[in-house]
Amino acid sequence: MTATTQSKQSSFAKRWRSLEAREGRLAWSLVLPTAIIVFGLIIFPAIFSVWISFHDVGLHNLNDVFNAPFVGFENYRKVFQDYAFKFQGWQSWGAAVTSVIYSFLATTLTIVVGLIASLLLNRPFRGRGLARSIFLFPYVAPIVSVAFVWRWILDPRPSGVLNDILMRLDLIDLPTAFLSTRGLAIVLVIIFEAWRYFPFAMLMILARLQAIDKTLYEAADVDGASAWDKFRFVTIPELRYVLGALFLLRLMWTFNKFDDIFLLTGGGFGTKVLPVLTYEFSFRLLDFGRGAATAMILLVILVIFMALYVGIVMRNVDEE
Amino acid sequence: MTDTQKQQTRSQGDHLNIIDRTARWITLPRFVFAATLFFFLTSVLFPFYWMVSSSFKSRSEISGREPVYIPSEWRLNAYQELFDPESPIGRFGTNIVNSVKVAVPTALIAVILSTLGAYAVARLKFRGKDILLNAILMVYLFPGVLLIIPLFAMLAQVGTKVGFNVQDNLAVLVVTYLATTLPVALYMLANYFRTIPAEIEQAALIDGCSRLGVIWRITLPLAVPALVSVAIYTFMIAWNEFLYALVFLNSRELFTMPIKINTIFNEPQPIPHVVMAASTLMTLPVVFLFLALERFLTEGLSAGSVKG
Repeated sequence: MTATTQSKQSSFAKRWRSLEAREGRLAWSLVLPTAIIVFGLIIFPAIFSVWISFHDVGLHNLNDVFNAPFVGFENYRKVFQDYAFKFQGWQSWGAAVTSVIYSFLATTLTIVVGLIASLLLNRPFRGRGLARSIFLFPYVAPIVSVAFVWRWILDPRPSGVLNDILMRLDLIDLPTAFLSTRGLAIVLVIIFEAWRYFPFAMLMILARLQAIDKTLYEAADVDGASAWDKFRFVTIPELRYVLGALFLLRLMWTFNKFDDIFLLTGGGFGTKVLPVLTYEFSFRLLDFGRGAATAMILLVILVIFMALYVGIVMRNVDEE
Repeated sequence: MTDTQKQQTRSQGDHLNIIDRTARWITLPRFVFAATLFFFLTSVLFPFYWMVSSSFKSRSEISGREPVYIPSEWRLNAYQELFDPESPIGRFGTNIVNSVKVAVPTALIAVILSTLGAYAVARLKFRGKDILLNAILMVYLFPGVLLIIPLFAMLAQVGTKVGFNVQDNLAVLVVTYLATTLPVALYMLANYFRTIPAEIEQAALIDGCSRLGVIWRITLPLAVPALVSVAIYTFMIAWNEFLYALVFLNSRELFTMPIKINTIFNEPQPIPHVVMAASTLMTLPVVFLFLALERFLTEGLSAGSVKG
């Protein structure tokens, strides 16, 4: 009996002192600060947010959160019944449908514009480096500044610069309130997204474009392929993986994005997306339970979509 | 290339005038290329021109019946208003200082912590590494609005127990920004460390150098470009961040620039030239920093390192 414990102890002690264990301990002490911060401020809050979504948490009991009354799916029921959330025909989409449509269209447009930009920069011309730097400006500049510049350009008064240009060109007769017209507002927000985020897509596509084997194009030339054929049958297949990954990444970020729409339209005029609705429930109505429930719904939609995407689209890519 | 050369030799032979030469030079693909490039450049640059030029306009130019495309002179009215100590929308200097107070510590601490973590991830074997890496990657999935509610509730709890203010506390902002930037920084650096040959480090270890000595003397000097880009990115994220600052800051004295610009924008009487002046001041440092260090940075950008 004593002998076995002793041998256990000594084997433990041996392991504790072994090179491998020392390396492991050193490694953990190096990653520990990062791990604590990420766990404490991201992973734990994410789990805690599930808990909040099933409880009645408001400003009144914020200092005593852990004793908040359990309300089951009440918060979720309230969200699903909210007119800002649910779909009520094509005049009023509700935040869930708006979010999905907006994210899809914005992501697609961003990648198409990024693709065009990367094709432009892929051919040599004088000042290419400068053009590339300039193209990155929208992505690098702070969101607050660019959102407010756009609002100022789209100013509804006749002194708004876009109104002035369009009226001079006789395209419109009267000044338009661009960002406070239902329908037009969401289109402009989507265009803004493409303007701001195309550089990211451009950089990733450009890196892949420059790695395409030149002999593929030479072979296509020998076969008498036109420029369009070469694009369709050589470039696009080579870019497939990058485009697939880009789409997933950008879709995820666009779906989660709060600042852009909040600053451009405040979520009004048919542009209310789920992150903005979450913010309004939590920090305007101060109903944190309902806010958390909205955020959970957002996360569930996102996870379902990603699972479908990875399961269907990515697998097809692999099989081809 | 060969086409151009052929055309050039042909036109030189014919002694054509400039108009004919350009007419020949412009083929359909060239025209489409030039037009697209022009379209891209104007749509990217015009908003920035409009921001900077509007900031130099006077109140009458800004509120006239028609937009003023080129300000008649370089007026500094908007900037004077912005730094006016008397006006509630003024004292922008304080806000600049607040932004620096948040962004610089975030960048420094993020570089230090992620260097240590990334070294362990790239070079050492330890149990739970995969779980840790996956947990860290999850950060990409969670939207900021999902985290802000529990963070707010949690920090309010901790704050009352330990005795610090959650609201109007710039240190709280630094810590939350660290949480959102550290994972990305760690991935970026770990990828870079893997490209440094391990043999150099092993040689130093055999010569009797300690692990920390190796990191300090060998790995860090070789990783300077990656360290610079991580520092710039975390700085930029903290400098630009809007949502957390909006929720955590209430007092005008402690507003970071984005929140201050938001309040100026939402003044009942619109003063776009002041908003544009503040935006210009906030944008210029970032754009210049980016241009100056672009060589290091674009690689990081295309590695998907900036969430946003």
